[in-house]
Amino acid sequence: MAPTESPPLPPIAGEEGLGGVGGLTTPVRLYLAVAQRSFRRHLAYRAATLAGLFTNAVFGVLIASVFTALYRSRATEGGGERIAGFDVAEMLVFVWVGQSLIMVLHLWGWWDVAQAVRSGDIVSDLMKPFDFYAYWLSRDLGRAACHVLVRFVPTMALGMLLTDLALPRSPLRWVAFAVSVLLGLLVAFAFRFMVNVSAFWLLDVRGVGYLAYSAVNFLSGFLIPLTFFPPWLRGIAEALPFRAMVMLPAEILLAKRPVAAALGVQLLWAVALTLLARAVLNRAIRKLTVQGG
Amino acid sequence: MTRETALWRRLIGARARGQVAYPVSFLLQLFSTSLLFFVELAVVALMFRQVDRLGGWRLAEVAFLYGLSAVAIGVALCLGSGLVAFPDQIRQGGFDQVLTRPASAFVQVLAADLRLDRLGRVLNGLIVFGYALVVLDVEWTAGRLLYLPVVVVSAAVVFGALFVLEATLCFWTTQGLEVVNAFTFGGATLSQYPLHLFDGWLRRLFLFAIPVGLVIYAPSLYLLDKHDPLGLPGWLRFTAPLVSALFAAVAGSLWRVGVRHYRSTGS
Amino acid sequence: MGSGDGGEPMVVARGLGKTYRVATHRGGALGALRGLVDRSGRDVRAVDGVSFTVDRGEMVGYVGPNGAGKSTTIKMLTGILVPSDGEATVDGLVPWRQRKALAARIGVVFGQRSQLWWDLALVESLDLLRHVYRVPKDRFAINLAGLRDLLDLDPFLATPVRQLSLGQRMRGDLAAALLHDPAILYLDEPTIGLDVVAKARVREMLARLNRERGVTVLLTTHDLADVEHLCRRMIVIDRGRLLFDGAIDELRRRFGPHRTLVIDLEDGDPAPAAGPFCPGVDWVRADGPRRWLRFDRDAVPAADLIAAVAARHRVRDLTIEEPAIEDIVRRIYTEGMGTP
Ligand SMILES: Nc1ncnc2c1ncn2[C@@H]1O[C@H](COP(=O)(O)OP(=O)(O)OP(=O)(O)O)[C@@H](O)[C@H]1O
Ligand SMILES: [Mg+2]
Repeated sequence: MAPTESPPLPPIAGEEGLGGVGGLTTPVRLYLAVAQRSFRRHLAYRAATLAGLFTNAVFGVLIASVFTALYRSRATEGGGERIAGFDVAEMLVFVWVGQSLIMVLHLWGWWDVAQAVRSGDIVSDLMKPFDFYAYWLSRDLGRAACHVLVRFVPTMALGMLLTDLALPRSPLRWVAFAVSVLLGLLVAFAFRFMVNVSAFWLLDVRGVGYLAYSAVNFLSGFLIPLTFFPPWLRGIAEALPFRAMVMLPAEILLAKRPVAAALGVQLLWAVALTLLARAVLNRAIRKLTVQGG
Repeated sequence: MTRETALWRRLIGARARGQVAYPVSFLLQLFSTSLLFFVELAVVALMFRQVDRLGGWRLAEVAFLYGLSAVAIGVALCLGSGLVAFPDQIRQGGFDQVLTRPASAFVQVLAADLRLDRLGRVLNGLIVFGYALVVLDVEWTAGRLLYLPVVVVSAAVVFGALFVLEATLCFWTTQGLEVVNAFTFGGATLSQYPLHLFDGWLRRLFLFAIPVGLVIYAPSLYLLDKHDPLGLPGWLRFTAPLVSALFAAVAGSLWRVGVRHYRSTGS
Repeated sequence: MGSGDGGEPMVVARGLGKTYRVATHRGGALGALRGLVDRSGRDVRAVDGVSFTVDRGEMVGYVGPNGAGKSTTIKMLTGILVPSDGEATVDGLVPWRQRKALAARIGVVFGQRSQLWWDLALVESLDLLRHVYRVPKDRFAINLAGLRDLLDLDPFLATPVRQLSLGQRMRGDLAAALLHDPAILYLDEPTIGLDVVAKARVREMLARLNRERGVTVLLTTHDLADVEHLCRRMIVIDRGRLLFDGAIDELRRRFGPHRTLVIDLEDGDPAPAAGPFCPGVDWVRADGPRRWLRFDRDAVPAADLIAAVAARHRVRDLTIEEPAIEDIVRRIYTEGMGTP
C-alpha cells in the first residue's frame, strides 16, 4: 500500500486489445482504467494529504484574515460593504474555493511529463499504442477526482470550522460549479502539459516553472479576485485563459455571472488550449524523432 | 569553528562557481526571477487601491515588512539549500558518507547543495525594501540604523533554523514532511502583513512557537515607529537577536539529537 | 596515540552487535507521522555478537549473503553507526566515540555510491577532499601523483564525475579514499557492476596498494574471485553471525576436502564414468576422453594417486583442481556450518 510501491506507470489493462480483432476494448475503456488506477494511487498518499490539508488550513485562515482586515479597514475609512464586487462573506467563499482547488487543478508543482522527458522514459511511452495526451489527461482526471474527495471537500469543511465561511445552498449552482471546475481542469492541464513539454527544448525548466507559477497565481484569480485589478490589467487578464481556472468557477458559485456565458468561455479556452498543447507535443515529438532529442 | 567556516566556504564555492560561470546571463536570470515574485507584492498593492491603511499600516509600511520577510527567507532558502535537499540525501545514503569524514556533519549537509537561483527572491525583497526605505518618512535615528541589519540577520536566522528543524525531522521520518511548509512558507507569507491582522491560534503560533513575529513584526514596530494594537511588552521589540539565537540554539541541539538518533538506529 | 605501532591489531571487534528497530508500516504513508510518536515495530538483529581482529597490513575478505550484516559491520567500524552491544577499536580509537579523529585515519569506499561531487571534475573533487581531510598541500601533491600513476587517473582527471564510466568512477572513488594516507581502507563492494577487465584492474590496484603501501584492507564483496585474488584470510558471516574466520586454504581444507584429478585419456581407454577407483577415490564425471576423479586430500597423496592412475590407464594429460571457493561458500550459505 505504500505509495512508493506503486509503479510509476500503471500497467494498461487491455492494451493489446486496442484496435485489435475483438474490438471490444475501446480506447475509452483503456483511459477509464488509467484514470481509475491514478485515482486509487493518490488515495494512498495519506501523510501527504494530511500535511497538505494542514497547509491549506494555515494559508486559508491566513488569507481570510487579511481580507477580513481589509473589509474592517475599509469600514473604518467609511467605505462601502462591497469591495471589488464582493462582500466579506463572498470573499471568504472566494478564498476557500481557491485553497480547495489548488490540488484539484494542481495549480503548481506538476512535473511528471518533464521528468519523463529528462529521464528519457518518454520514448517508451510514446511507443505505446495509445494517445499520449489522452493518457496523461486520464491520469490527471483520476488524480483530480481523488483530490476532490480528499482535498476539496475537507478544505471547505476546514474553512467552515476555522472561519465564518458560509457556502451557497442552491444545488443548481453547485452543479454549474462542478462543470466549471471540470472545464477549468482541462484548461489547467493543457497549460501544465505545455510547460512540461517545454523541457524538450530547455535544459533547465526552472525558469519557465517560476514564470508559470507567477502567471497562474496572479492571473487565475487565485491570489486575489481579478475584479481588484485596474481596468487595463483586468482587460489583459480577461483576454487570457488563466481566469478559467479559479476566477470563473468562483464567480459561478457566487452567482456573479450568467452561467452559460462563463461556461462557454471556459469551453472555448479548454478546446483552444488542448489543441495548442497537442500541437506543441507533436512538434516536440518531431524534434525527438528527427534530431534524436 | 573558523576551520569549519572555511570548509563551508570552500565547499559552497565549488558549487557556486558552475552556476555563475556566465555572470551576465546569471544576473539576467536572477533579475527576471525576482520580477516574478512581484505578483505577491502586487496583491498587497491591489488591496491598497481599496483602502489607505490596512490595519492602520500604509502601503510603504507593509512593503517594508514584505521586503524584510522576502530577504530573510530568500537568504535562508539559498544558504540552506543543503537542508532543503536533505531528505534526498538521507534517503540515498549520502549521510553515511558525511559521517565518514573528519568534519562537522552539519557543515557538510549545509554545503551539499546550493541553489543560487533562489537569490531571485532576495533581490526582489531588496528592491521592495529599498522602495519602502525611500518612501517611508521614518526618522532614521542611530538606534534604528544599527538595529535594522540586526533584524534582517535575525529573521534570516529564524527561517534558517526552521529549515534545520525540517531537516532534523528526517532523522525520524526519513522523508520530507510537507507539514513544515505550513510553518516556513506560511511564516514567510504571514510576516508580510502586520501581525495584528491575525488572531487566535495563528497569531500565537507565529509569535511564540515559531518566533517569526518576534523577529519581523515586533522590531518593525520600533523601526517604523508604529503603535502596537496587540499591547506586547515594549522590550519585545528589541529581542530579535536574542530570540533568533535561542531558536537557532534549539534547532541546533535538536539537530544533534537527530544525528545521535541516526547513528544509533541507522535509519 | 596508538597509531603506527606495529604490535596492536588495526581492528579489534569484540561481541559487536547491532539491532535495527524497523517500524511496521501501517497503510504506507501515515506511518511517517505515526513513526514520530509510536516507536513500536520489530527488531532486526543485523549483526549478532561478531568478534575478530585484523592485523596491520592485512587484507581480509568479509563475505556473506545479502543481508548478512556486512555493511552494518563496516558502518560500525567507521563510526557511522553506534553498535547496540559489544566493543571495537580501530587504530586504537573507538569509532563511534571518536568519529572525527578516526575519520582522518580511514578511507571508505561504498561501491554503490560515489562520494565524489557529481558535477565537478574529478580533480576538483579530490581538491575539495584535500580540504575536508586537511591534507597538507605538498603531501597532497605527492599522493595525487602516486594515485594518478597507481590508478591511471590521467585520462579522466578533468572529466565531470557524472560523465565517468563505472570503472573510472570507482578508480576515482578509490583515489578519494586514499588521498589522506589512511591506515585502513574499508571497501564495501568495490567491484559491483564492473566488467571483467575493470574488475581485474581494480583488483590489481588493490593488491599493489596493499603490497607497496601496507594499507590494511577490509573488503566486502559478492564476487569471491575478488577475495581469492586478493586475500589470504576470509571472514564469513550469515544472518549477523560469524561462521568462519581463517585462511582461505584452511577453509578449503575444512569445507572442501575433496580435490579433483582431471585426466585426458588416450583413445579407447576403458576408464569408467562413475564408480570407485580405490578407497577414498571415485570416478565422478566423464566427457569424451576426459575423466574426473575426486579424492580426499588428507587420505590420498596426490603423487600416489597419479602413479596409480598412470599404472592402470593410458594418460595423455592431467591436472589437479582445487574446489572453487565459490562452491564452498555457496555450500556454507545454503547448508550452514554443519559437518561438510
Ligand atoms: N537502516 C536500516 N534499518 C533497518 N534495517 C536495516 C538497515 N540497514 C540494514 N538493515 C537490515 O540489517 C540486515 C543486514 O543488512 P546489511 O546491509 O548490513 O547487509 P549486507 O551484508 O551488507 O547485505 P548486502 O550484501 O545485500 O549488501 C538486513 O536484514 C537489513 O535488512
Ligand atoms: Mg551491503
